[in-house]
Amino acid sequence: MRHKTIVLDNGGHTIKLGMQGVNKNPRIVHNGVFRSDRDKITYVGKELDGCTDFGALNYRLPFEKGYLVDWDVQKAVWDGLMYGKQLGVDPPDASLLITEPYFDLPKIQDVYDQFVFEEYEFKSYYRCTPASMVPYGDLFSQRGLPPPECMIVVDCGFSFTHVVPIMSGSIVWNAVKRIDIGGKVLTNHLKELISFRQWNMMDETYVINEVKEACCYVSQNFKQELELCKANPQSNPIVCEYILPDYSPTRTGRIRQPGEQAPETAQILSMGNERFTVPEIVFRPDDIGMEQMGLAATIAHTISLLPEDLQGMFWANIGLIGGSTKFPGFKQRLITELRALAPVDCMVELYQATDPIVSAYTAAYTFASQPAFQQRLVTRAEYLESGSSACRRKFKDWKGSTLRGNDGVSGKGKGRAREDTTDSGSEETEEAEVVPVKKGTKGKGRASVGRPKDK
Amino acid sequence: MRQKSLRQAQAAKASSFDPEVVAKRTKRHLDELERSNSNYAETTGVLGFVDDEDGEAGGRTAKGRARQTISDKRAPEGGRKKKSTMNVRTAVIYRKTFTALLEDADLSSYPSSTATYLTAAAPPPSQPPRMICSVCGYFGRYRCKKCAMVYCDKNCEEVHEETRCERRVF
Repeated sequence: MRHKTIVLDNGGHTIKLGMQGVNKNPRIVHNGVFRSDRDKITYVGKELDGCTDFGALNYRLPFEKGYLVDWDVQKAVWDGLMYGKQLGVDPPDASLLITEPYFDLPKIQDVYDQFVFEEYEFKSYYRCTPASMVPYGDLFSQRGLPPPECMIVVDCGFSFTHVVPIMSGSIVWNAVKRIDIGGKVLTNHLKELISFRQWNMMDETYVINEVKEACCYVSQNFKQELELCKANPQSNPIVCEYILPDYSPTRTGRIRQPGEQAPETAQILSMGNERFTVPEIVFRPDDIGMEQMGLAATIAHTISLLPEDLQGMFWANIGLIGGSTKFPGFKQRLITELRALAPVDCMVELYQATDPIVSAYTAAYTFASQPAFQQRLVTRAEYLESGSSACRRKFKDWKGSTLRGNDGVSGKGKGRAREDTTDSGSEETEEAEVVPVKKGTKGKGRASVGRPKDK
Repeated sequence: MRQKSLRQAQAAKASSFDPEVVAKRTKRHLDELERSNSNYAETTGVLGFVDDEDGEAGGRTAKGRARQTISDKRAPEGGRKKKSTMNVRTAVIYRKTFTALLEDADLSSYPSSTATYLTAAAPPPSQPPRMICSVCGYFGRYRCKKCAMVYCDKNCEEVHEETRCERRVF
């Protein structure tokens, strides 16, 4: 039986929320509790919309390193959203589609189940990763063809960046790679640079985040632009001034336009090489000492782990989602770097929606209207009877992954992943809960080849 | 162990830089970049804004009172008639850090054919990093003899010595 469905993309920075069939554009709510030390006011989640003074705003976020660990804060935010008046339907009468991070930990996943069924009492729900929804959306629709069989989804968000290959609708977990750089690290890095070079803004996360979004971009020629800034730090084509807000109704923060006279009392930030050295970290994490490959190299690495005869298809279908892909020049820079790494005879194509922040929501919104969604739901009745094992059985994730090397999948055309035949609604024995087996050697995921999983 | 690191510290001061010390400082810096709380000092606020950053946050404060939860301070719209279940209350009160949860998950005990959070990390780059001046952001060419941070010219060297140089390696 079909119930109203709530779609909730539960991100580390913002929640995107809406009802299937009603909210094609989601409501966007900051996912956290914020306290203004100046005004002694606390804003929980959606209440931040009513804030006018974002100065010295103290953050408390439910996500740490990309995973939901602070359930007190999350409950506070959700309590303000998960009821009839806010949703347009009472949870006990609704189904829920909610997103979770890649490689979510089992104990954390259990708590999602508890909140959904025991606290809010939804009728049924499905929990999945943001990238897994992309095949159902229209991210690749510019091609004028149905969604590609083989795609790479690059999810560059607040907490981190993942490169996610998807084959016939299923994530190829063994090839998923993560870079620990996201919007949060970028903002904090900018905070440090500014605090060291100009004004102390270590307590001004919100303000600096706005500065980052207004001024930063991805350079197409890092060396050249860095030389330009060095040659003439005060006046060069790149440097610009940002007028900090004073939170009177007339003055929000903004970039100073040429010829504009800044108000006398205004504090001005000079944004020079920071404009492009900050987002550069996504492409070169080792600039700040993080020993991980940059985004282009990681994408190339991921593709190298996929069946050789399909790699060309992956290069040609790379989608970008997540707020941190919004920097001007991001897509162009990535194309340039990937072009240099890809085989000469491969097409390299990148796809990005007009608003990458809502890409996952939009795709999930479409998915929630389809019969396949109904098949994936776990009902409250099932949960009350079998607990979280009902969800572990039905929600396919990284635990069901097995090594799929070049000999694991048929290269003929479809390369059909074994996992996704949910339409028949049958229990997938492949996806039976993997019971961790104590092993003598550390598993690195690539050591043994083609060993069949114990059923 | 302590002897070794003391000797290493002295050696580092003398001539070259102990990569272990530099690595520790880099890690500490990266951890700082991960923080979402802007205030480094612990903040105690009306709504229990206590930063229990390390380890398990117990249900009681030092004084033995039940810790106030943030979520209790707002009545959910539409009002909840019933009390939350034990599972939910436990999850709300007992907060664990991600590091602790990661340890609990014991990911290395999964079959080696299973991809996990640990195996998913992008591999290290194949090229050495470029040196960026820690003061002005331009390409760096020199390392501070005392603390190995990068700078690009004499001006930046001066600024570095006056401000951020960690003269004492630890």
